[in-house]
Amino acid sequence: MSTEERTITQVVEASIKRRYAREKRFRLYGLIAILASLSFLAMLITTITYRGLPAFTQTFIKLDVTLDQQTLGVNDQPDIAELRKANYSGTIKNSLLTLFPDVKKRNDKKALYKLVSKGGQYELQRLVIEDPELVGDTISVWLPVGDDVNSYLKGSIDASLPEKKRRFKDNQIEWLKTLESNDQIAQRFNKTFFERGDSREPEMAGIKGALFGSVLTLMVTLILSFPIAVAAAVYLEEFAPKNRWTDLIEVNINNLAAVPSIVFGLLGLAVFINFFHLPRSAPVVGGLVLSLMTLPTIIISSRAALKSVPPSIRDAALGLGASRLQVVFHHVLPLAMPGILTGTIIGMAQALGETAPLLMIGMVAFIVDVPTAVTDPATVLPVQIFQWADLPEKGFVEKTSAAIMVLLGFLVMMNALAVYLRKKFERKW
Amino acid sequence: MKKFSYEGHTAHQFDVELNEVKHKVMNMGGLVESMVHNGLEALLTMNTELGAQVSEDDHRANQYELDIDEDCTRILARRQPAASDLRLVLTIIKTISDLERIGDEAEKLGRISVKLSGEADVPHYYKDLRHLGDLVKTMLRDSLDAFTRMDVESAFRTAARDEAIDQEYATFSRLLISHMMENPRQVSHALDMSWCARSLERIADHCCNICEYVIYLVEGQDIRHANLDDMRKKLL
Amino acid sequence: MNNTVTDTDQIASINIDQDKPHEQTVEEIVASLGDTVGETRVDNPKMSCTGVDVFYADKQAIFGVDLDIGENEVISMIGPSGCGKSTLLRCLNRMNDTIPICKVTGKLTLDGDDIYDKKTDPVLLRARVGMVFQKPNPFPKSIYENVAYGPRLHGLSRNKADLDDIVVTSLKKASIFDEVKDRLDQPGTGLSGGQQQRLCIARTIACSPEVILMDEPCSALDPIATAKIEELIDELRENYSIAIVTHSMQQAARVSQRTAYFHLGKLVEVGKTDDIFTNPRHELTENYITGRFG
Repeated sequence: MSTEERTITQVVEASIKRRYAREKRFRLYGLIAILASLSFLAMLITTITYRGLPAFTQTFIKLDVTLDQQTLGVNDQPDIAELRKANYSGTIKNSLLTLFPDVKKRNDKKALYKLVSKGGQYELQRLVIEDPELVGDTISVWLPVGDDVNSYLKGSIDASLPEKKRRFKDNQIEWLKTLESNDQIAQRFNKTFFERGDSREPEMAGIKGALFGSVLTLMVTLILSFPIAVAAAVYLEEFAPKNRWTDLIEVNINNLAAVPSIVFGLLGLAVFINFFHLPRSAPVVGGLVLSLMTLPTIIISSRAALKSVPPSIRDAALGLGASRLQVVFHHVLPLAMPGILTGTIIGMAQALGETAPLLMIGMVAFIVDVPTAVTDPATVLPVQIFQWADLPEKGFVEKTSAAIMVLLGFLVMMNALAVYLRKKFERKW
Repeated sequence: MKKFSYEGHTAHQFDVELNEVKHKVMNMGGLVESMVHNGLEALLTMNTELGAQVSEDDHRANQYELDIDEDCTRILARRQPAASDLRLVLTIIKTISDLERIGDEAEKLGRISVKLSGEADVPHYYKDLRHLGDLVKTMLRDSLDAFTRMDVESAFRTAARDEAIDQEYATFSRLLISHMMENPRQVSHALDMSWCARSLERIADHCCNICEYVIYLVEGQDIRHANLDDMRKKLL
Repeated sequence: MNNTVTDTDQIASINIDQDKPHEQTVEEIVASLGDTVGETRVDNPKMSCTGVDVFYADKQAIFGVDLDIGENEVISMIGPSGCGKSTLLRCLNRMNDTIPICKVTGKLTLDGDDIYDKKTDPVLLRARVGMVFQKPNPFPKSIYENVAYGPRLHGLSRNKADLDDIVVTSLKKASIFDEVKDRLDQPGTGLSGGQQQRLCIARTIACSPEVILMDEPCSALDPIATAKIEELIDELRENYSIAIVTHSMQQAARVSQRTAYFHLGKLVEVGKTDDIFTNPRHELTENYITGRFG
């Protein structure tokens, strides 16, 4: 026997080393991939949080406002309509001028007025309409500061730049310092963000309108798509004869799931709005369109869930003399429920994040009021984010990120619900 | 008539085991056959050596029986044979016990030959045993053949010959009685002769049993204690 | 010219055909098997099949089976995989109805009534002819619910006490009561394989069937659990007719009074279990039970 000849053990040993090395390498690649995606995720979340967090606080300025009849332009016994039209901005301007009597020049005055948000007048309007007795009195109120003040205070405006290159001028900084030293400036939680609809003023813009729009739209989607999808899945899986037609339907459902969502928007525009004359920008139409979009997703996942119920359970129930309907409702559906619910919630989450089809049916309109019914004009969270992202004001940058945080929060909540429901139903063996 | 085979199992090892045990039975049959032949020869030629040889062979036959019994037990335990395999194992177990008895009878012949060779004036008529012995030897050979070839036809034919041997035995007995009456001094010898004839007749009975086992093995019908001709008509 | 070419082609193709060894179709093999050997009929049949053919689409799975299942007898059906024994068993309580391509012709009767008659309701039939499956398949519910499901479905109990009674009796009959009496509210899926199978038998008994069909009930069980089930089958014979499909010939030999051997969808031989296992009359049966199939 020559020494060059290697025994089988040696050959195998050599290859085993290679095999283990390969395995190690592969594991390493996997680890790297996971780390990379984790770091991207972390990056995304930190950027959004960093940008969005300031939006949750707002700076207020304390002013003594004199609500005299003359400036407001109302008579002795003003009615609601009159109070609504009254000139509240004049009173605010007056109060600012009383604080800084030196300001005479027109440009300086304009700069001074910018300290207080245009939303301040609405705050006053609200107060006065609540209590018309206030007319003629001098009240001390906290009013939101203007967008530039907010930006400056939150550090988005660099004070070291030469004056001409920044929006916030030296005299404004001066005034602000005076106000701060008088304790007339305070940071508070930004309730406005959650209490108001959209606005052209970043400091007055909130997501309540979009949030309600989203909730209403999703409700319509859920009410429509869940029963229809489950019924379709049960019929296709349990009752339909297996022939060319059911094959065709199956292929089409799978294709529908892959159709770009904007196509559903076009369909919604053509059918629901132009043909059925449903209201534009309404959650009901949004819900209809999103139902169309989520139906295939839910049907496919429901069918998979139904299919995964072991046939032995069906056999057992049939063998005991249950009818096919009883088999489905007593055994198959309860066992498939966790899967169906997971699919539904994933479909809902998809619908929650959908923008494109809603743009087509007009949910992109600028809507200030908070919708209360499914036929009210409304917008939804992702569309709101899309709109805000387009606006030039500094304040909207942080609002956009804040809205994204809210949207993400909702998605996480829905997924958590999916996990919870699945666990809960699985516990029932 | 059915075809009989103990081969072609999916578990090839089973074939091997059955084949092995069947070969052992055939070897044992060969040994027993030679014992009968030698015992008879020893008796007819007063060959003491041959007689002693038969006694020794009997130990070997006994050993065969033990061996084969053990093999069969193992097959039953491990293979749980059914149908023809089951019948084969059962047949083998029964066959070897008959073969062992045949061996015992042959040993008796040998023993008597040793005893007789030491004595004077042995009567001449013991030579008349030869005819009976030849018949029995043929029958034994044919039964073993039938077993080896699983041949039902030949088993039936061989079993039927038992009757002829019984008659031959009766004739020989009558002959012995007349001799004993003529020659009362030789009664003890005549009794020995009678024992030998009796042994040969027993051997034929055992052969008949073996033939019946073969028929059971192949046809699955137990024909013991039944009319041979009727069964033959029914089965063949 | 063209003609010549075609001719040679034809000749060539004929030659190729002749070179090929002729492969027997299933139908030809079945035809060569001949008639069923042994007694297909019994004196007191509970169920009876006459000339039963079963087709899956174009493929015939069972060829003209005649077979009786007697009162209070255990009949075992054996045969190699795909021989149609399970198919026939499933025909007996119309479980094949759920397979759309499956077509059954011939006559199957229960107490003399045609079970494939339009008037016969498969749901009622399945209550009278219960089935136990290969894999223990308790519902993912409590032990109590498992057994109570059938009686509830058919409205066999008037009140809760009645139902309790049925559940306890069924569990006792399936000789599992002592093992589970303290945990009737626990999931049936938490039991061991053998216990699950006995629970399934209890569940079947609870519907008070007349015939119990068992499709390889012990193939997923260990020998001790198997022995318990076999013991149970023997006890159940007093009150029910039982048909059992099994892959274990020893099991068939142990539990049944009659044995039927199927081959390629044809009932080759049927007879007393004692005869089949000592002296089968058909060569194929012999080959199968002595282990001579590849």
